Amino acid sequence: MTPFLLSQDNLVLLLEELSQNLEVIAPVLAEGEPVFATWKGQPLALDKENPLNSPAEFFLPQRETLFRYVQYSGRYTFEEDPPKSRLILGMRPCDVQAIRVLDQIFGSGPADLPYVNKRKSTIIVALNCTKPQETCFCAQMGAGPRSEVGYDLLFTEIEQGYVVESGTPAGMFILKYYSHLFEEALPEHLEEMETRLRDAENAVRKNRPDMSAESILQAAENVDLDRAEKECLQCGGCSLVCPICHCFSTMDQGVPDGERIRCRDSCVLAGFSRMTGGANPRETLGKRQLHWYLDKFVYIPEKTGMLGCVGCGRCSKVCLGKVDRWKLLEEAMRR
Amino acid sequence: MKRGEISQRGQTDRREIGSIQRAGVSGGISGYVPIQAEVIDIDVESSNTYLISLRLLDEKGQEIEEFPYMPGQFLMVSVFGLGECPISITSSPTRLPLQICVREAGAITKGILSCRVGDVMGIRGPFGNGFPVEMMKRDVVITGGGSGFATLRSLINYIADKRDDFGEVTVAYGARTPQDLYFTSEYGSWQAAGIEVGITVDMMDTSWKGNVGLVTSLLDELDPTPGAAALCGPPMMINAVAADLVKKGFEEPDIYISLERHMKCGVGKCEHCTLGPYHVCQDGPIFPYDRVKELL
Repeated sequence: MTPFLLSQDNLVLLLEELSQNLEVIAPVLAEGEPVFATWKGQPLALDKENPLNSPAEFFLPQRETLFRYVQYSGRYTFEEDPPKSRLILGMRPCDVQAIRVLDQIFGSGPADLPYVNKRKSTIIVALNCTKPQETCFCAQMGAGPRSEVGYDLLFTEIEQGYVVESGTPAGMFILKYYSHLFEEALPEHLEEMETRLRDAENAVRKNRPDMSAESILQAAENVDLDRAEKECLQCGGCSLVCPICHCFSTMDQGVPDGERIRCRDSCVLAGFSRMTGGANPRETLGKRQLHWYLDKFVYIPEKTGMLGCVGCGRCSKVCLGKVDRWKLLEEAMRR
Repeated sequence: MKRGEISQRGQTDRREIGSIQRAGVSGGISGYVPIQAEVIDIDVESSNTYLISLRLLDEKGQEIEEFPYMPGQFLMVSVFGLGECPISITSSPTRLPLQICVREAGAITKGILSCRVGDVMGIRGPFGNGFPVEMMKRDVVITGGGSGFATLRSLINYIADKRDDFGEVTVAYGARTPQDLYFTSEYGSWQAAGIEVGITVDMMDTSWKGNVGLVTSLLDELDPTPGAAALCGPPMMINAVAADLVKKGFEEPDIYISLERHMKCGVGKCEHCTLGPYHVCQDGPIFPYDRVKELL
């Protein structure tokens, strides 16, 4: 299918129409910062930096109810909510790739149905990244700045609006159903798109050296874990914003009726693998830091065939310590 | 690097050992909804440990009769309002009812132990691989320490009920004090089934006339012939016994270790139970010694 052009004004019209049938999630401004949130007509923040909350949290929320339990004369009944139909607009290539990795992890073996059900009922409208930041290294991780797979529709910002390509029948359906809002993209539009994406890739490549999984791994094994132990504040922020991190915990709230909650957790936190008796297989922060690297660059690749990092740079951005993970890794590479 | 292209390191040994019964019973849209289990009997095993017999109920309150599992598998047990934790199955699939042995250790186990006969808890499972009983059909030595013995009782009763399938079977069990010994009423029936049973305690009291000392010295005394071994207990004991068995001529892949980890999901997603590349809840909890000895 040939690419289409969607003007800024028509994008808003499109979202208005779509949001009558689905929940539309898009980057909007909250206190001046771009965040992914339900779109209710407020100005879009597609031209701003990638929001700090990754769209993965709409599939594995920071907190969600798995089910509610209701007690009646000593026996229980359980209630659950079916997933809602949603559309996420403005997912960058790094996040699209992260969702592909999560699809593998949560969809294979015994599937995690809360994730899978949400995933199946969500349309992904990706946005090729023309405005990478200094913390970005998607190109080095093979995740961006251009999406190739994993989206239903793909937008690229140009002067006149967005070049729109479809990746699935669901995407094509939207293009057909709302065809009155789209026009055919002209060669000069595509040319501008290519230029912008090439510039973006060049910018990203300047941020960090090229890395192979092997070199990252080798560096990870040489990371100054003593320094990491000293400078990491163990806040777990890196895991909470990472689009691939998916550690979670469950807990109950309410007696006799209540709900089972699941919330995001982090394997760098001290109590993460501690057992009731007190034994902790990853007692030291160094061991936990190393596990983080190994999981992203050995275990997840082994399981999914894809890297466990997409280079979105969120972990560096959110780090409260003096030295974030990637700085440590780069130092180790130089040694 | 290209998208999705990564050198396949493929060092992780994921060959299946053991069980057939992988998909756990649980339901609902989320798959995380437990099935209800009614407490039908509670037995005291030690001052803080109880053997709880369960009857599974479907949504209509009717008893679920089919619940296939294997020795070594575990359940995620819920006390609604407190949460969920992994508990190994203590009964043998050859016998009814389904039993779990629970020691009071934290909030949830305390909640389980506050249940009375007729009360309902939730279970999901069975999870994990279980002991590879087909590969163990020869001489077997079963070594347990402390509460780790709970999961081994499932295997011992399984062997006792299918005695002809196995060769010489030896049980070596160590606990802290004589009061901490579990299943004392069953040792006689194991011996009657032709299973050699050795018991030892760390600290004796005046009533104790048996062995005192470590399980490893008990093993020296019992001197089992090399074959298959099943192990469960505290990490120190596992390392010592496994090394000891290797010295006695056991092959490392024939030593099956049951591991304990913090768990939240049982289906290999929450990452709490990771041991190197493995998820103990799915790839284990039973591992051949050679696969995990570097990781323990």
